[in-house]
Amino acid sequence: MKWGFVFRYVGILVFFLGLTMLLPAGVGLFYGDSSLRPLAWSAAAAILCGGAPLAVFGREKKDYISQREAMAIVAISWTAIGLFGALPFHLSGIFPTFADAFFESVSGFTTTGASVLTEIESKARGLLFWRSFIQWLGGMGIIVLTIAILPFLGVGGFQLYKAEVPSPVPDKLKPRIRDTAKALWKVYVLFSLAEVLLLLIGGMSLYDSLCHTFTTMPTGGYSTKNLSIAHFDSLYFDVVIMVFMMLAGINFSLHFRMLQAKPLSYWRNPECRFFLVTLAILICAVSASLFGTVYDTAGESLRYGAFQVISILTTTGYATADYNQWPAVAQLIILMCMFVGGSAGSTAGGMKIMRVIVTLKFCYKELFNLLHPHSVTHVKIGGRPVPDTVINGVLGFMALYIGIFVLCSVLLAAMGVDFVTSFSAVAASIGNIGPGLATVGPVGNYSDIPYFGKWLLSWLMLMGRLEIYTVIIFLVPEFWRK
Amino acid sequence: MKIIIVGAGEVGYHIANRMSFENKDVVVIDRDPDAIRRLADNVDVEAVNGSGSSPRVLKEAGLKEAEILLAVTDSDETNLVACLMADMISPTTKKLARIREGDFDAYHKMLHDQSPHIDTVINPEIEVVKSIERFLSIPGAVDVSDFADGMLRFVGLYLDEGSRLAGIRLKEIPEKIGQRILVAAVVRKEELIIPGGDARLYAGDLVYFISEEKGLVSILEAFDRSSRPVRRVMIVGGGRIGTRLAEAVEKKGIKTKIIERSAQRCSELAARMKKAVVIQGDGSDQRLLMEENIREMDAVITLTNDEETNILVSLLSRRMGAEKAITKLNKFSYFPLMPAIGIEQVVSPRLSAINTILQHIRRGKVLSVRTLTDEQAEVMEAEALETSDIVGKPLKKSSLPKGSLIIGIIREGLVLIPSGDSVIEPGDRIIIFAKRQVVAKIEKILTVKLEFF
Repeated sequence: MKWGFVFRYVGILVFFLGLTMLLPAGVGLFYGDSSLRPLAWSAAAAILCGGAPLAVFGREKKDYISQREAMAIVAISWTAIGLFGALPFHLSGIFPTFADAFFESVSGFTTTGASVLTEIESKARGLLFWRSFIQWLGGMGIIVLTIAILPFLGVGGFQLYKAEVPSPVPDKLKPRIRDTAKALWKVYVLFSLAEVLLLLIGGMSLYDSLCHTFTTMPTGGYSTKNLSIAHFDSLYFDVVIMVFMMLAGINFSLHFRMLQAKPLSYWRNPECRFFLVTLAILICAVSASLFGTVYDTAGESLRYGAFQVISILTTTGYATADYNQWPAVAQLIILMCMFVGGSAGSTAGGMKIMRVIVTLKFCYKELFNLLHPHSVTHVKIGGRPVPDTVINGVLGFMALYIGIFVLCSVLLAAMGVDFVTSFSAVAASIGNIGPGLATVGPVGNYSDIPYFGKWLLSWLMLMGRLEIYTVIIFLVPEFWRK
Repeated sequence: MKIIIVGAGEVGYHIANRMSFENKDVVVIDRDPDAIRRLADNVDVEAVNGSGSSPRVLKEAGLKEAEILLAVTDSDETNLVACLMADMISPTTKKLARIREGDFDAYHKMLHDQSPHIDTVINPEIEVVKSIERFLSIPGAVDVSDFADGMLRFVGLYLDEGSRLAGIRLKEIPEKIGQRILVAAVVRKEELIIPGGDARLYAGDLVYFISEEKGLVSILEAFDRSSRPVRRVMIVGGGRIGTRLAEAVEKKGIKTKIIERSAQRCSELAARMKKAVVIQGDGSDQRLLMEENIREMDAVITLTNDEETNILVSLLSRRMGAEKAITKLNKFSYFPLMPAIGIEQVVSPRLSAINTILQHIRRGKVLSVRTLTDEQAEVMEAEALETSDIVGKPLKKSSLPKGSLIIGIIREGLVLIPSGDSVIEPGDRIIIFAKRQVVAKIEKILTVKLEFF
């Protein structure tokens, strides 16, 4: 393992991050608010710190990246990006501790959307823009972005791509990884433009349209308003945002195919079909439980029920209603959604629908084999058998996910957090959702979580975004052996 | 440029790797999911699992946009069918098939000329026999390739301890041996260097140079390599290549012995050969080698289907006194080890296949391509087009990328060894030596003027 090489890559990404900070700095300059200085200083720091390893290790060249190096690059880059992304928050002094700033930054990049800010609207606009913008950068993956635009990262790009893209079996849309990354970003940018346009048409200001698009497309969930989407209280905005949350929760390679004039690919894809059907069933169930208990009309139940189910299942985390006040069955369905998450290859988090399907089918296969001990059966998705290695990977992932969830809930509860808050906070962090239940529910926030709890949850968010293995591999002694 | 490769075996894998390195879009099709996974994990290409002769799979792989289809599976039949189907789906795609069965030999030209669905048939075994013959003709060379219809030879030689040339500067060579040599590259400690005039040669270096056919003998003398003609040859392994080679050397009046294990194959060989002696037995049997007078042999050529046997028999026969040993080797991962264990002359059907394929893939008017054994560099023979950027100005002022070198110019049938002041004229044939990293740039230079560098 060549550490110099790893740090050179990390340096490139940090340098690049510094450049992206100039955009919110420009916003700060435009509004002439207090965010310009912290953003400009942070940009300078990132560019200098990112440039240093480039200068020192610039000569370390290889035409091959090992799996181990790729994982190290991705994990270290994301940590470094979280740290440098926290600088503007920290320097602006809106948070009491660096842990808070880091939490807010990691929550942004991992598209979680869990916030420790109690009062949002009074904060400087440049800073809030940065808060939304990092979600947009993190959604499609900052490494995927650099692969797409920096030609010299092409070497070993696939290893990095695999370590960053949330999917058990990453699709390759084009023969070369750089073209694939470009295609994904093109779709992402195109959809974002469409959403901005639709929000503008509805009468939202350009600033708010941009900020909300930046947090819808990556299924992030940060809002510039204290009340999240409820602030606008408009059916039009609810519907537009619901549609784009759903799109963001679908595999982006399907969007790419759709843009190639193959609209049927959505329905032909078993995962997408499962996603849409599940969504429909859950919306009906939640809305039915709300009708008569919380809302008086069927229309209202459907509007608020659907928004919340979509928001949580796609792991966005916007709120138009406080589901803490909803009946237990609705709350539990929402909790369940936190675990499932969106499609593989989308910007959503959670365990991913593909893994849920594989696990369900595998369970059915086991039961079937008990009845027909001599039968030869395969787990099939879309008519094609899934290789055993993939199934093993999926089952291992599920076990790790649940294991980490349980362990970290206990840890958080040990820090003095109450029962419902601790397990829903852990589920919402590792699933990159944002709001949980009770104290960390849609109207609450994470500011009351203890100091060490914030570090733990930040780490969980990184694990969730990078699909556990990339982060946890550092804890395995074998990783450090030569 | 999009290339579809059918078959992710050793040849398919390596071509895919080379092409993706040069930023081409490559799609590889193979039936074996393990081979596909190995490829997808290591090389930046699209890997499709399925049968390469299936029209559905070919379409899925995007055949319609592909410029070239390479059929290089182990099965000649699959390769033929893949080309046939490809022609129906996308007639404009250029189709190359590897066909190895000797029975097809007589039909290569017909397949090429008459059947519309194959543009080129590649038989690496013919190439291998040719390179063995070249090895036999130049003593001590570890790499020999012919350019300009044999007028120019590109030779790689190890500089022996105590050679006259060891320790002297390149620019001093002419006064030392009374002749100019254009040294293209030196491989020292596995690193390929393109030396300048002030660079020195050291003992142990692998020196690549270009020479005219007629001047070669004196250069070889300068390297202290005698040019005693080969008179006795032993071939171990009487398979397809062995038979082909035996027939070729027999014609030159070289005394030939073939050792083959299978009795049935031996009797077939005996019936086919005119003078060659066919011996049934195991090539790694020391007693047998001794009996067959191995120490009097000018060359032992090991051509069995087993890599390890070839290596061992070559080592064994060198030890027992054979003048030189030529080893057939397919696994690329073994190549770097060979100099270390004392095997210098290696032929590889796979490398030959790759050379031939590259020649067809390269853009511009590329006439032939040779890859150095360790794949660090390529030598290309090409026609200088009028639009090309290197035409019409002295070489030292042209925009050739670092890591490349013009090592030969052929104008109206005459060979020029270029210097910095030479000017390439349109229509010249040029021979370019290029490191792997700059091959893509060279390709661009050979086609059109460069605007972006």
